[in-house]
Amino acid sequence: MNWLRRRFSPASLRSLEGSLFIAPWVLGFLAFVAFPLGYSLYMSFHQVQITVTGIKTMPVGFNYYREILMSDGGLLYDDLVPFLRQAAIIIPIILIYSLLLAVLLNLKFPGRTLFRVVFFLPVIFASGQVIQELTAQGEGGLAFLKEMKADTFLQTYLPHAWSSTLLGLISSFVLVLWYSGVQILIFLAGRQTIPSSVYEAAKIDGADPWSIFWKITLPGLTPFLFLNLIYTVVDLFTFPSNPIIAKVNTENYGVSSALAWIYFLIVLLFLGLAALLFSRINKSASGGRQQ
Amino acid sequence: MARLMIRERLEKISFTLPAPQGRLKRGAKTLLLGREADKGLLFRIFMYLILADTAFIYLKPVLYMMTTMVKDADSLLDPSVIWVPRSLYLGHIREAAALMQYAQSFGISLALSLSIAILQTVSCAVAGYAFARLSFPLKKLWFAALLFTFIMPPQVTILPSILMFKELGWLNTVLPMVVPAVFGHGLKGALFVLIFRQFFSTLPKELEEAARIDGASMFRLFFRVMLPISRSAMVVVFLFSLVWSWNDAYYPAMYMLGAEHVPLSVSLSRLSASLAGEAEGGGMSVFAEPIKMAGSFLIILPVLLIYGFTQRWFVEGVERTGLVE
Repeated sequence: MNWLRRRFSPASLRSLEGSLFIAPWVLGFLAFVAFPLGYSLYMSFHQVQITVTGIKTMPVGFNYYREILMSDGGLLYDDLVPFLRQAAIIIPIILIYSLLLAVLLNLKFPGRTLFRVVFFLPVIFASGQVIQELTAQGEGGLAFLKEMKADTFLQTYLPHAWSSTLLGLISSFVLVLWYSGVQILIFLAGRQTIPSSVYEAAKIDGADPWSIFWKITLPGLTPFLFLNLIYTVVDLFTFPSNPIIAKVNTENYGVSSALAWIYFLIVLLFLGLAALLFSRINKSASGGRQQ
Repeated sequence: MARLMIRERLEKISFTLPAPQGRLKRGAKTLLLGREADKGLLFRIFMYLILADTAFIYLKPVLYMMTTMVKDADSLLDPSVIWVPRSLYLGHIREAAALMQYAQSFGISLALSLSIAILQTVSCAVAGYAFARLSFPLKKLWFAALLFTFIMPPQVTILPSILMFKELGWLNTVLPMVVPAVFGHGLKGALFVLIFRQFFSTLPKELEEAARIDGASMFRLFFRVMLPISRSAMVVVFLFSLVWSWNDAYYPAMYMLGAEHVPLSVSLSRLSASLAGEAEGGGMSVFAEPIKMAGSFLIILPVLLIYGFTQRWFVEGVERTGLVE
């Protein structure tokens, strides 16, 4: 080590050490993320044939993209549009629900540990094949809504596209709740970052719990709300039950790659929209406080 | 403390002021609504109702799974039996275990998820530490790359990865899942790096500065000082990684499609595929459901046991490490 110290200045020595620490991750990124990413972009513009001797590619330009976006609607639109519609409803539900539960679970009451154990169960299995099996058995539905004939009501009063979205949502509503496990955790962790002295001060000033929630808890949790929004979008778009994911398969490398890229761009668009919306809300909220 | 005392005194004053009748009313009101909103009886009842309802929603599928798999033919066909079967019948579990080659798949799943969890814990800690505290060229670019990896759906890179691993001759082995974990990638690797980065950036800098002045090298510092004090973050990442790789069916299904011996999650989907095939042939469709439920249960049983023993770590560890931000 000593010759190193003589040769380099402390600053460059530090940067050398830092590079050594990050090197494995960067190598892994290049090998397992960047290379496949570039290759899939390349494949999406080519016809790919896997032969015994190797992989043959023929450039086809934007043909696959044009085919998916313009002519062959079945591959993308039939599944994607209902899915996006469903996502637009699911995301706020997950966010509000997990916020509510996190606030409740943060209170001190007898039996809290027991409830916490139950509410973290989803974090443990929600990722697996098991959930798929349960959905297939129809265990994800809300039976009482069916008993109340909610389906016929919705079909009568809403346009078909939205009523079928809502019905699909109802039939898997429990799963929506199952997918909010990590979000509850994030909100709970976020709640710990608000110092309790703020709450004490508010109580002494005579603030009622309603305004304490809106004026202290909610603003304090806003960064976590954003984090949860990002997490939910990412998680939702990689759901195992997501219709698009099954379409990306080894049957046709070129088309599948183009589809995956279009899908990824849509995810990015969603995230961008979320970030934009969030910064708007944040700005107007802080502007409102200044007045 | 002083504030509290003042508050108590104020409350005493306000209680002594009203007339006796008013005091009674106020007592009832305090009992129902509470002096603070989260202490009142009404609120408590309401809260327990909500919590019990949602807890039931979470537990119902698990309960359903456990009761269905022990129903014999009589209980399955009897419409009056919904939850409690007439007798305990363990044949479905045995059959599911046989169809899934349980012992073998269990061994593969355990070895796979344990090795991924250990590798990811160490490699993501190294990367997370570098992102939190060290300086290296192009740091901003690599951090953007990390965020990119986090939000990218795995489907974008799955096909070229399959081709790449095929070239390397790794298909139908566990290597495509284990090797990325060595480098801090793999299933949810980016999330774990972010967790460690967050954790290390909350630690006081004085520790490292003191060790530096003593002339300790970066590696000694990291392995002797930083890793031992980051135990809570490591446990959280280890447990999450273990459980998620255990459950994951996507990567094994993609990389080990033709393998003879597969992890449990793949053997469950093979089981349900073969049951569906039998049902089409007009076979034992009544038993398909309990067998599938038994298979699912056999998969989550080890995870449930781990969770039972470590739930304290899951719950408190996540809060304490400040998983997020």
